[in-house]
Amino acid sequence: MDFSFQEALNKILHSTGFVAIEPGQGVMIVISLVLLYLAIWKKFEPLLLLPIGFGCLLANLPLSMMANTHEGGLFNIFYFGVKHEILPPLIFLGVGALTDFGPLLANPSTLMLGAAAQIGVYTTLIGAVALGFNLQEASAIGIIGGADGPTSIFLAAKLAPHLLGPIAVAAYSYMSLVPLIQPPIMRLLTTEKERQVRMEQLKPISQTVKIIFPIASTLIVVLMLPGVAPLLGMFMLGNLFRECGVTARLHDTSQTHLINIVTILLALAVGSSMTAETFLTFETIKIIVLGLLAFCFATAGGVVFGKIMYIISKGKVNPLIGSAGVSAVPMAARVSQKVGQESDKSNFLLMHAMGPNVAGVIGSAVAAGVFISLFGSGAEGSGHAALETLQTLTASLGQ
Amino acid sequence: MQLIIQSVQVSFLAMGVIFLVLGVLIWVIRVLVHFLPYSAEPAPAPKASAPAAAAGSSQDEDHLAAIHAALAHHLGKSPQDIHIVNITSQ
Repeated sequence: MDFSFQEALNKILHSTGFVAIEPGQGVMIVISLVLLYLAIWKKFEPLLLLPIGFGCLLANLPLSMMANTHEGGLFNIFYFGVKHEILPPLIFLGVGALTDFGPLLANPSTLMLGAAAQIGVYTTLIGAVALGFNLQEASAIGIIGGADGPTSIFLAAKLAPHLLGPIAVAAYSYMSLVPLIQPPIMRLLTTEKERQVRMEQLKPISQTVKIIFPIASTLIVVLMLPGVAPLLGMFMLGNLFRECGVTARLHDTSQTHLINIVTILLALAVGSSMTAETFLTFETIKIIVLGLLAFCFATAGGVVFGKIMYIISKGKVNPLIGSAGVSAVPMAARVSQKVGQESDKSNFLLMHAMGPNVAGVIGSAVAAGVFISLFGSGAEGSGHAALETLQTLTASLGQ
Repeated sequence: MQLIIQSVQVSFLAMGVIFLVLGVLIWVIRVLVHFLPYSAEPAPAPKASAPAAAAGSSQDEDHLAAIHAALAHHLGKSPQDIHIVNITSQ
């Protein structure tokens, strides 16, 4: 084999990424650097935006084979965990292990605030349809209003995988902006008198109730909405690890190492889906705008329902805790506490806001379950993938 | 236009389902709390053979932990930010 120096040099030069880079990839690299900047220097959800940004950077380096669509590539394998609904439910397992249902169980009516805040999901759904998205895409965009990253990723991967990147980035970016987005809406919708309401101290809850609740709620909710099983089931299992007192090792692993490892895999997989072809579109801009509206409407929905509870309870409920119904645990609850203390420094709303905050997680998972029941792949058939498999098996046995 | 009407219908239906599911959960919690009310665990019986000094020290630690938690809650600070350096009994 003859090789001249010139030919060898040419070959090496033509095998570098510099020759193959396209303008779209250049723009995506800049976007990934912005995400890294926001994560590291502005501390916007750094645990997620940093790996998402770096995944995006790697996916857009030409010839790197790191995009989620590159068969056999590293991130293509990571992306299997998103595509096949493995990683978001595992995140929910960890979140469940970190969650204390005590405040919710002590004041169960706050579950309604978690339901009311889902109004953001549905106003955005209507807005997205008006902007030209189909119902499945609009549902995946609307769930951004649930302010729950794993739920958004789970639903986007199921209903609109081509929109996964922008939806995940919008969801996590706005979640980090909750302390900026929510307070003006909360102040606008409440009076000074309402913000000063001091709530009664929460009653303690027996350990047996804390153990039975995740089992009972899984039974009831999954029987009502089978599509929610992966998310809610894992969430409640994680919580059962925490409360039962006999699985300390599993609880410890779920709330630390497991959730950290899965977060890395999930965020890299999402970042790798942000290629120029899927991200640099007019749809992305629409999703970013709709995501912001979703958060605003969700906050407003929670606060307005909080005001209704304030009236019904004759002034015993502080409407500010309603904004915590948007999930985003525990940041939204902290915002309720902070805005409450602006009106009364010695008012402590944090534990009261944790109830709707946890209810928001359940509410957004239920909202996702409703969308899966209506628009999921099994929606036109039996309604559930497991049942469809069973039917296929029965049919093949009958032949 | 048809699609927008459908999306409005979906929204009403879905919000109804969410309120129904969470309403059922509220009812379940109320039933659970009613039948399994909280009862504080009985304090462990003091050991007769335990030395007086050790028992006093454990009680002090319990008091200190309670004061620490109450102060942190009242001031809205993390318990790590509060250092109790001295308690004088009167």
